[in-house]
Amino acid sequence: MSRREGSLEDPQADSTISLLPHLEAKIRQTHSLARLLTKYAEQLLQEYVQHQGDPFGLPGFSPPRLPVAGLSAPAPGHAGLPAPERLRLDAAALTALPPLLEVVRRHQAELNPRAPRLLRRLEDAARQARALGAAVEAVLAALGTETRGPRPEPAAAAAAAAAATGAGVFPAKVLGLRVCGLYREWVSRTEGDLGQLVPSGPA
Amino acid sequence: MPAGRPGPAAQSARRPPPLLPLLLLCVLGAPRAGSGAHTAVISPQDPTLLIGSSLQATCSVHGDPSGATAEGLYWTLNGRRLAPELSRVLNASTLALALANLNGSRQQSGDNLVCHARDGSILAGSCLYVGLPPEKPFNISCWSKNMKDLTCRWTPGAHGETFLHTNYSLKYKLRWYGQDNTCEEYHTVGPHSCHIPKDLALFTPYEIWVEATNRLGSARSDVLTLDILDVVTTDPPPDVHVSRVGGLEDQLSVRWVSPPALKDFLFQAKYQIRYRVEDSVDWKVVDDVSNQTSCRLAGLKPGTVYFVQVRCNPFGIYGSKKAGIWSEWSHPTAASTPRSERPGPGGGACEPRGGEPSSGPVRRELKQFLGWLKKHAYCSNLSFRLYDQWRAWMQKSHKTRNQDEGILPSGRRGTTREFQTLSPGCEISRFILTGGCDPKHQPYCPGAGGVIPAIPGLVGPPPQGHPLQHPQDTETVEQLQTKGSLLWEVQQTPGQSATWWSVTPASGQSRG
Repeated sequence: MSRREGSLEDPQADSTISLLPHLEAKIRQTHSLARLLTKYAEQLLQEYVQHQGDPFGLPGFSPPRLPVAGLSAPAPGHAGLPAPERLRLDAAALTALPPLLEVVRRHQAELNPRAPRLLRRLEDAARQARALGAAVEAVLAALGTETRGPRPEPAAAAAAAAAATGAGVFPAKVLGLRVCGLYREWVSRTEGDLGQLVPSGPA
Repeated sequence: MPAGRPGPAAQSARRPPPLLPLLLLCVLGAPRAGSGAHTAVISPQDPTLLIGSSLQATCSVHGDPSGATAEGLYWTLNGRRLAPELSRVLNASTLALALANLNGSRQQSGDNLVCHARDGSILAGSCLYVGLPPEKPFNISCWSKNMKDLTCRWTPGAHGETFLHTNYSLKYKLRWYGQDNTCEEYHTVGPHSCHIPKDLALFTPYEIWVEATNRLGSARSDVLTLDILDVVTTDPPPDVHVSRVGGLEDQLSVRWVSPPALKDFLFQAKYQIRYRVEDSVDWKVVDDVSNQTSCRLAGLKPGTVYFVQVRCNPFGIYGSKKAGIWSEWSHPTAASTPRSERPGPGGGACEPRGGEPSSGPVRRELKQFLGWLKKHAYCSNLSFRLYDQWRAWMQKSHKTRNQDEGILPSGRRGTTREFQTLSPGCEISRFILTGGCDPKHQPYCPGAGGVIPAIPGLVGPPPQGHPLQHPQDTETVEQLQTKGSLLWEVQQTPGQSATWWSVTPASGQSRG
């Protein structure tokens, strides 16, 4: 990799010139997807708090930031990491999100059965997170970077989340808020990280 | 504590919160809540209560004993801080709450009762479910589309407002045998409906009912018993076409096709037509259009766009004695009547009596009218026979017209004459229209028009309830010759002769 982080140049590869346009296109495409999903994630969060009732959604509402097994928010130092490392963390988070979103959807199906739009958004979010995660991994592969590192078992993380909701409805509401919030944070983070890789100028 | 008939959730709400999930969070190295080292537990967790009941709750703080204190804790309900007098400190680590006369829950996911630390951070929460048990659903109605399925609709008891999520389940079984079945496709035609798509038996009654369940209890509707054949409906008639009837400015022809899905079944179809003017919201309904697939609307306004719809009722399927169920209306079909080409009113009065009867305007208008009549008549091969009982003066001047001289004796109504030999003059006549009416000709829709519009120059309708009198009874020929205008009303019966009556409003009497 060149000194400039996020650069697509590889002076050692003669065939890179023919690959670069494809990689560039792939990055642009994934970046556009991330931008779209950031918008959807914001809508999901708004829809979610609406159905939980006050104080969810009120300004200043600050529930305990319960940890979610297998997934944490982007670290403060995330932006300072090398691009491949950032994308790797993005991909890992996007892979961990779908089973957690499914837990939230199942719980909301019991709590808010007459909120089909919320349930549909949660279902779509799981699918979209999976798609974006796969696209980021494809970009990483194209960059020659492995998606290394231990990842928590998605099933175990979901089971932990589901167990946590057994403590009561209010904790389940808070957990759902946390998961939707994490989804928005990671999709937005992914958009930002890919945006730094997109060459300036028209596609 | 929770009151009222306990539903399944209410009983489970009384269990203390399990510790394992909390431990799971600790094991995973979870950072603590915003207040630092404290957590709390609210009891009861997620209770279900009747509207108007009371709640006693506690918030018990765990964590660092030196810091865990009930002093400074406070409660909020749905984001609103509760008055301090509703709370009291039970001990060093427990704050109690007493709420009375609870209102119904604001949201179906439960009211959020939250225990806060002094700094406002959230220590714990519990969701309250306050509402009513369901009332008996009622007013179940069902219909079968083409005998292939069954859709049912019902009204929830108490107008559905229980403040709790209430689940409705439609059940059905064959009346004398079979097990209970549960409908699975809900909300097909509204929030309280269900659709059974298949595996339905005919010629045997079903029992159908609705069960309503929520956290506070359950209720069951009365049982509806029906045979699928008695509640059949069908698709709207397809291929509805509306078109002009030649140049007739007050009529439109409506044609449609019998619903094809029922073509193999024995049934009688009856139809309804409704139509309205383009910029109106008022529909006129033509009822009892039985077993035919076309008819004519009459009495319409010239030069006007009309929207027309048709629907079908397939009653008597396989000998069922019950009325079927009307289909939906077909999609609106539009057509416009031709603009009227007739000149406006303003002439045609009979010339005053007393001399040679004036002939020009009346003759012209009568000719025009009879031409119009021939054009509009139900029977296309209509021939005109003119019955001139009172044209005594005409008989004098036209040898070939009447076979009889003078006024015909009573009881004998005279002979008829062809249109071509119409005499001039302002006479009052009775026309008998005969001829071979072709029954295949499109009939008029029942009740849809029937009064021929007045001829230009002629004034409109006779006084209401005016009796028709035979002129021979009371008047001489001279009296019958009068000025005024004429209105012609036709009564047509398919296959039979039609009779036309003329009226002279100027004389104030109608003639027949």
